[in-house]
Amino acid sequence: MRLRVVVAVARSTFREFWRSPDALFWTYGFPLVMALALGLAFQPGPPPQVPIAVVADADAAALLAAEPRLLVEPLAADAADRALARGRVAASLRRQDGGLVLRADPTRPDAESAVLLVERALRAEPAAPAIAPLRREVEDRPGSRYIDFLIPGLIGLNLLGAGMWGIGFNLVQMRVGKLLRRLAVTPMRRSEFLFGYLLGRCLLVVPESAALVGFGALLWDVPFRGSLLAGLLLVAAGGLAFAGLGVLVASRARTLEGVGGLMNLVQLPMWLLCGTWFDTSRFTGALRWFADLLPLTHVNRALRDVMLEPQGLLDAAPTIAGLCAFAAVCLALALRWFRWQ
Amino acid sequence: MTAAPAAEPAIAIAGLRKVYRRGRKETVAVDGLDLVVRRGEVFGLLGPNGAGKTTTVEVCEGLTQPDAGDVRILGRRWGQGEDDALRARLGVCLQETHFQEKATVRETLALFASFYDGGADVDAALDLVGLREKADDRQSQLSGGQRQRLAVATALLGRPDLLFLDEPTTGLDPLSRRQLWEVVRGFRARGGTILLTTHGMDEAQQLCDRVAIVDRGRVLAIGSPAELIRSLGAEHFVDVECTDTSAVGTADLAALPDVAAHELRPARIVLTVRSVHTALAALLALLRERGVGVQGLATRHATLEDVFVRLTGRTLREETTP
Repeated sequence: MRLRVVVAVARSTFREFWRSPDALFWTYGFPLVMALALGLAFQPGPPPQVPIAVVADADAAALLAAEPRLLVEPLAADAADRALARGRVAASLRRQDGGLVLRADPTRPDAESAVLLVERALRAEPAAPAIAPLRREVEDRPGSRYIDFLIPGLIGLNLLGAGMWGIGFNLVQMRVGKLLRRLAVTPMRRSEFLFGYLLGRCLLVVPESAALVGFGALLWDVPFRGSLLAGLLLVAAGGLAFAGLGVLVASRARTLEGVGGLMNLVQLPMWLLCGTWFDTSRFTGALRWFADLLPLTHVNRALRDVMLEPQGLLDAAPTIAGLCAFAAVCLALALRWFRWQ
Repeated sequence: MTAAPAAEPAIAIAGLRKVYRRGRKETVAVDGLDLVVRRGEVFGLLGPNGAGKTTTVEVCEGLTQPDAGDVRILGRRWGQGEDDALRARLGVCLQETHFQEKATVRETLALFASFYDGGADVDAALDLVGLREKADDRQSQLSGGQRQRLAVATALLGRPDLLFLDEPTTGLDPLSRRQLWEVVRGFRARGGTILLTTHGMDEAQQLCDRVAIVDRGRVLAIGSPAELIRSLGAEHFVDVECTDTSAVGTADLAALPDVAAHELRPARIVLTVRSVHTALAALLALLRERGVGVQGLATRHATLEDVFVRLTGRTLREETTP
């Protein structure tokens, strides 16, 4: 190996990088911004409380309330099931056959903590075994497991990815290859191009999502309890919203590095904060406000509603309308800012 | 093609100026350029890289906003609410376009055909550029020349009145180049107007009815290739390599018949002559008489390159540094 060559290659590689301002920003600026944002969001403090549903049992509820790390929610039986299915609580406790039954899906984040905390709370109370022996049950009913929670979230995430990679990245590629410029000198109108482009891409998201639903149903009996039409429209509206966001993100970028950075900026918060992996409805303050602002939060919530609960078109309508409005705003801005060369 | 008043030129540019700014650095790309392209002619912008040819064409295409000047294309100006109608009458082949890699030639043409209301004929365009056999090949399977012909085909689809070709044959092999020249000639024969840019003097000479020689954002001369070459005062060069020219004086060379200009170097004589046979015979006689041995002899026709050299003192291959 010739050191002279290694040094020359290293030097030219470094120079290329150093002379690309967007690469520089996304390498040095963006991680600092992220560190600051996450640092503010996750300030050191007491460990978060683990929510648990207690079904119609005041004694048990009082017992558990003594454990400061448990957030006890007294609920009716079906409400507790729903809360468990939707990930709003980590476990549910109910009285059954003279004992206490603690149900949780151990694959769910926090489930193990909930079980341990409940056991600790009951141990701390000498009278507890007398009140009831504790029995653990694995939550394995279709519609209530972590996998049932996960599949709708993955569909939402997939819609986001399709908008960003399929549309945003692709558009910038066309700009870099001067194809957009060539199109701009034809009698094709901007709106015709953008809508045609969106249509071509959005058609893909419906079968993509159907494949995920089918896959979940086939392998794990993941249910689809609501209206299929509502599900279809939700997927289409979600696809459109993220496609609009993709076009907006790609409307100015002149390099693939630039659009890659912007896509990260848009995608990362949604990956973390929109309830794909865990329930985020307990966020408070600025974090809550920010998560509610992100379209993926609404897509995920509505998809879970329509898959895990027998919801109809009317229930999903506000979200569908909201997503369409979001898409319209994105596209209007994109049309205004769009760079053809 | 749309009929138009015969007097109205295809392109009329007056006082065009375009400055590119990057940070504090200003680059004057076009500096007060005037030009008229008549209907039905092949007009060439000939100049070295950086002369402002592409910027001028892009202003004509409506892609670039000029800083000053008046540009009328087929009698209309850009940005007056008729842009789409105007674009429908133009065919554009940019210096470089990457069509979608996985689309076939026919699919690419079908996409572009959809933009034109008249119903563009994909098969006719395929035939015009000789790509019929490649119609079902994907972009990635095409050679450089075929890609370029596809680009020209997309420009011809809407049956334009005016065709812009920006360095259409740069980087092509001689055969592909000739094929493209045929396409250009065919378009002209059907009554179309073409504005093409090139830094190839042979291309300009072969294809263009008229040529504007452009340098540093200005037009230095306009005319037919023959007119421009005639403006040199003589159309041939005689280039003789000799043993030693000290026995010959510049006055001897100037006295030779039909010589317009001469250049005397220690071992070489270059004459610009109106007639090769008279000047050459006289030169050889002179050299024999003075005892100068001839080691090499070449004669050639004057070209547009010589015109450019005469006008700028540089060759076309030298970069322009504004």
